[in-house]
Amino acid sequence: MEVVFKNVTKRYGKTVAVGNLNLTVKSGALHFLLGPSGCGKTTTLRMLAGLESVTEGQILFDGKDVTRLPAADRGIGMVFQNYALWPHMTVLKNIEYGLKLRKLPKSEIESRIKEVLHITQLTRFVDRLPGQLSGGQQQRVALARALAIRPNVLLLDEPLSNLDAKLRHEMRDNISRIHKKTGITTVYVTHDQKEALSMGSDISIMHSGILVQTAPPRELYKNPESPFVAGFIGETNIIHGTYKGKDGNDHLVDTALGVIRSERKFGDFKAGSGVFISIRPESVELALKQSPNETNCFEMTLSHLTYLGDSEQLQFTKGDTVIKANLFNALDHGLSDGDGARVRFPKDATLVLPPDMQLGAGT
Amino acid sequence: MATTSVETSSPLKRLMSNLLGYGTVAVTIIMIGVFLLLPMSKVMIKAFYNGDTFTLDYFRLLFDNHLMVEAMINSCWVAFATTIVCTLVALPLAVIGSKFDFPGKGLLLGLLLVPMVMPPFVGAIGFQRFFARYGSVNLMLINAKIIETPIDWLGDANKFWAVVILGVMHLYPIMYLNLAAALANVDPSLEEMATTLGVKKWRQFKDIVWPLARPGYFAGAIIVFIWSLTDLGTPLLIGYQDVIPVRIFNMVSDINENPMGFALVFMVIMLTVGFFLLSKSTLNGKKYDMMARGHVTSAVRKTGPLGTIVIYATLLSVILFALFPHVSVLITSLSHNWFMTPLPVEYTLEHYAKVFNQDLPLRGIENSLFLASLSTLTDVILGCLVAYVIVRKLLPMTGLLDSIVMIPLALPGIVLAFGYVITFSGTFLDPMENPVPLLVIAYAIRRLPYMVRSASAGLQQTSTSLEEASATFGASRFYTLRKITLPLVLANVIAGSLLCFAYAMLDVSDSMILAMKDQFYPITKVIYALYLEQGSGEFVASALGMISMGILTICIMGASVVLGKKMGELFKS
Repeated sequence: MEVVFKNVTKRYGKTVAVGNLNLTVKSGALHFLLGPSGCGKTTTLRMLAGLESVTEGQILFDGKDVTRLPAADRGIGMVFQNYALWPHMTVLKNIEYGLKLRKLPKSEIESRIKEVLHITQLTRFVDRLPGQLSGGQQQRVALARALAIRPNVLLLDEPLSNLDAKLRHEMRDNISRIHKKTGITTVYVTHDQKEALSMGSDISIMHSGILVQTAPPRELYKNPESPFVAGFIGETNIIHGTYKGKDGNDHLVDTALGVIRSERKFGDFKAGSGVFISIRPESVELALKQSPNETNCFEMTLSHLTYLGDSEQLQFTKGDTVIKANLFNALDHGLSDGDGARVRFPKDATLVLPPDMQLGAGT
Repeated sequence: MATTSVETSSPLKRLMSNLLGYGTVAVTIIMIGVFLLLPMSKVMIKAFYNGDTFTLDYFRLLFDNHLMVEAMINSCWVAFATTIVCTLVALPLAVIGSKFDFPGKGLLLGLLLVPMVMPPFVGAIGFQRFFARYGSVNLMLINAKIIETPIDWLGDANKFWAVVILGVMHLYPIMYLNLAAALANVDPSLEEMATTLGVKKWRQFKDIVWPLARPGYFAGAIIVFIWSLTDLGTPLLIGYQDVIPVRIFNMVSDINENPMGFALVFMVIMLTVGFFLLSKSTLNGKKYDMMARGHVTSAVRKTGPLGTIVIYATLLSVILFALFPHVSVLITSLSHNWFMTPLPVEYTLEHYAKVFNQDLPLRGIENSLFLASLSTLTDVILGCLVAYVIVRKLLPMTGLLDSIVMIPLALPGIVLAFGYVITFSGTFLDPMENPVPLLVIAYAIRRLPYMVRSASAGLQQTSTSLEEASATFGASRFYTLRKITLPLVLANVIAGSLLCFAYAMLDVSDSMILAMKDQFYPITKVIYALYLEQGSGEFVASALGMISMGILTICIMGASVVLGKKMGELFKS
């Protein structure tokens, strides 16, 4: 089932919760809606479920308009953040409820229950009440209940946020495995980028009700289209500057550190327009002092060093500019706080980005 | 080191305070023992013993007497009917209150609670004025030529329903408060989940909302049930003799000649305890922990214009229906020479003047104010201490203490009053001589649960660390209670005491049975006595009813302002 949002807007009175959303969830995808709290991702999910009305625009399931279709007729399975397990029904009753309602033959009901209990590994707990289960088990019941009706689309609203770190890891693998096995188109809302990066086939980043970028995880990390995405997915250094033009393959940007050369950019810029440079901390290198005329080499002061064994985190400053670097397998550089150092940004690791238009300045 | 200004109490002082604290708890237990358990066991023993020999004769007498059997059956029917009609009235109201948002919601829902301020038997006076053979309703119908001969609304056949309807008008707010709280407690995402599975609204209610709200519903239903099972005032004024409370009332005066009364009171105890336990164990026993709530913003829906009209029509018709007795009492109290006309031709304040000029009504107000104040004071002191002991688990087996203190909720006033008469007649507490001590104690004991509930609710929200901080400065437990804890739970204590006061002022059964000389009559018994008087008694009774209603309105409004939504918590079993 392919799900398409076409110019969807949701307003509460004058507040815009979701603005002009255009998004395609591919059939069979595990599609993430990722963003900080209050960005509109849960509202988007609830509109998709039919629990929230759409102010403007259309939602299409395989090309069919379902915008006004009640939740009951959309064939969705949902896992709520708090699981919404009916506390007065056993695990079995919780799962069975939706099936019985569909008036399926008894044998069919039984085989489906068996199947979902098997894939969620709940067979032992069928007769327990939700209150007698651990958080992880409750989560699995919620998942089993949603899967049992064989939904067109599975919707997960922050399904792991109430679990502790270890369980969260385990459930991540579980959900991935179940998704692969069933192949159900799944929309997954989270604010945890690690969940999204590790599991998603596509990730949509939302911010202040606006969809900022949709891409597969690697693409998103490598080629963020805005300083916000660059900063939200992973960690990055953002340097403000002025676009100066092209020199061969290199884009030149004038910054407080000096002119930075970059091979990569997103968007079109006129000379003189304000831009941002993004460079990941793991891409920042320490330059040897002996080679003074290298590209993108800048004299900075080491302000803070954290030694972590397998890696080191260094923070450099020059004026107001702060650059973080993560060095793996670093040579014994012998630097300590307050020392001068030469920092290098490889041309292929720097990215020129436009300012976040809708959001004002980048983060 | 400089001397500090922290007040520290000496060890002796601390010991004294501790003794005082624990002593008061002991007083509570003794009081409940002597004035609750003793009279009840006395009744039960007397029901089975003739002198020193065990006998079942009284029960044989009781069950051979078809009037008594009929009274028992009727009382049960009255209670069932009242509970069911209350549910039918309160359920839509609770759904409206918990699921919809509409203009003027607060005011309308507040008005729904107004009927609580009047004992139904006062309403019965106005009710009778309108539905009597030549009452307003019949006269209106005759004038409009709809009927020719007056309809006997309150004839023997209809008295049952008159009692039920008056009971419903008074008791539905208690049901409403319980149901609304129970519905609000059901996490909306549980319904949303069902919505995504394609479950229709009514089925969601049946399968999910109702099972989860049911314990809260039964908590309210059992109060309504027991209340209507043992209400004395309404059937007495309507003249419906065939119910247990009226039979017991009539037997009190000659109890020593007719020991069947013991058996009847025993049956009442069994009925109330039986239904109470039934509701607790089979229906109320299933309480489910609500899981963490989801981020649901849309639990309360705004209504459109049509919905608003429907809701207004529903709420206003219930309010008008329930306020009908109040309005009729008001009209009666203001009428001048009202005779054979649908509405009074002239209005006057003379009946109000009589209340303050005549001896009996004025003394009634004084007596009630005095008795209610004293019993409320008792409740505040005991209630706070008991709540403190229970919530902070100061003594072993506080659960038991909690259960004991809650007994009066299920204990009908007539049973207690009856027990007092047979236990304390001939002692220095003889109600025939001076009922004041027993009245104060009866009022206090029966409202103690409200006070304990109210104070516990406040205490549960107050962290013990605040008390521990005080203890580190060397303050005794009692000192801490007085200086730290009490001020923090003051709002709850005030609300609880207002309710205790209001219900003491409203009290019917204790007042009717225990106050035997007219110099000790509280308001309710004065109203009854005036009503029985020929001439203008009925009108003065109405005026007095209006005055007591005014006092109660102020109390209950005060309590709901202080407590807000938590008000419903006080009316659960």
